[in-house]
Amino acid sequence: MDSAPGRRFCLFHRPVGTCRGAVLYIHPFAEEMNRSRRMAALQARALAALGYGVLQVDLHGCGDSSGDFGDARWDQWLADIEAGAAWLDRRLGERPLTLWGLRLGALLATDYARANGRALAALVLWQPVASGAQYLTQFLRLRVAGDMLDAAGTQTSTGALRQTLAAGDSVEVAGYELAPALAAALDTLDALERMTPPCPVHWFEATAPDTAAGLPPGAARTAAAWQSRGVVLHAHPVPCPPFWTTPEITVCQAWLDATSAALREPADGN
Amino acid sequence: MYLDEVKTILINVLGLGDAGRALDADSPLLGSLPELDSMAVVSLVGALEEYFGIEILDDDLSASTFATLGSLADFVAQKRAG
Repeated sequence: MDSAPGRRFCLFHRPVGTCRGAVLYIHPFAEEMNRSRRMAALQARALAALGYGVLQVDLHGCGDSSGDFGDARWDQWLADIEAGAAWLDRRLGERPLTLWGLRLGALLATDYARANGRALAALVLWQPVASGAQYLTQFLRLRVAGDMLDAAGTQTSTGALRQTLAAGDSVEVAGYELAPALAAALDTLDALERMTPPCPVHWFEATAPDTAAGLPPGAARTAAAWQSRGVVLHAHPVPCPPFWTTPEITVCQAWLDATSAALREPADGN
Repeated sequence: MYLDEVKTILINVLGLGDAGRALDADSPLLGSLPELDSMAVVSLVGALEEYFGIEILDDDLSASTFATLGSLADFVAQKRAG
């Protein structure tokens, strides 16, 4: 798929039978993208079997697309989503579009949804990142943790790494070069709670086994804020390991089934 | 006293499954569990913060904290008390 600059690597899953809609998948960031590949592929196939045309796009600087990770920018990613949506329109005819994102991809999808004029059938959020700034701290912590594991390394801190970024220099985290511009975009992005999705939302959140049913406190707060602003929100807490970080490839069938069940319903306005 | 809860979270975050049930307070973690890479450490720290409502700082990320399951549970107890 062309999306200036360069091209994006895409995977299209053709709908089985009558096409009921289009789904665009937005992957998570850096290593989380690699670790969640299997779950994303399984879900994409399951949705195609339900009659959805599903497009998986590697965003600029990620996976097999053009650009190095150090070239990745938030605004460029928003443009990539637009290009993916336009590609689906051309391929399937204008079908109701559902955006489905995991972790930072879910925050990106929500940011796109609120700023874009396009009517969306739904947002499917898998374990959405609550805040770009908080996520940046977590990402920088990977470097701090890596230094801790490497006995010979000198320990750094997220504060020191942020200062390097603020001075206009890239930092390397777990083999990924993080550009100051992308870090600044994450830092200043509105928190998820402040973004109001203009369409129904299916929110999937992994819970530890033997814990109380329901969304964890942080997610519940955002959900309540959205609902108070009139957002139609379906919360789906599912007992499931955090498959986007587990070192072994993890497949959680209950999570896949819950997502398929949510999208088996006719999309609103369809 | 937080041992069982910390153990449950560790098993879930690292995806240890049934193999994790044998862990006890003296089980070495860092350098002994291959699953405990930098990503797992960050994920574990995030899960502990959320579950126990504690804030974990950069300075807390030291090898001694993650030496054994017992040292990690003690660390959580200290944070809860402090």
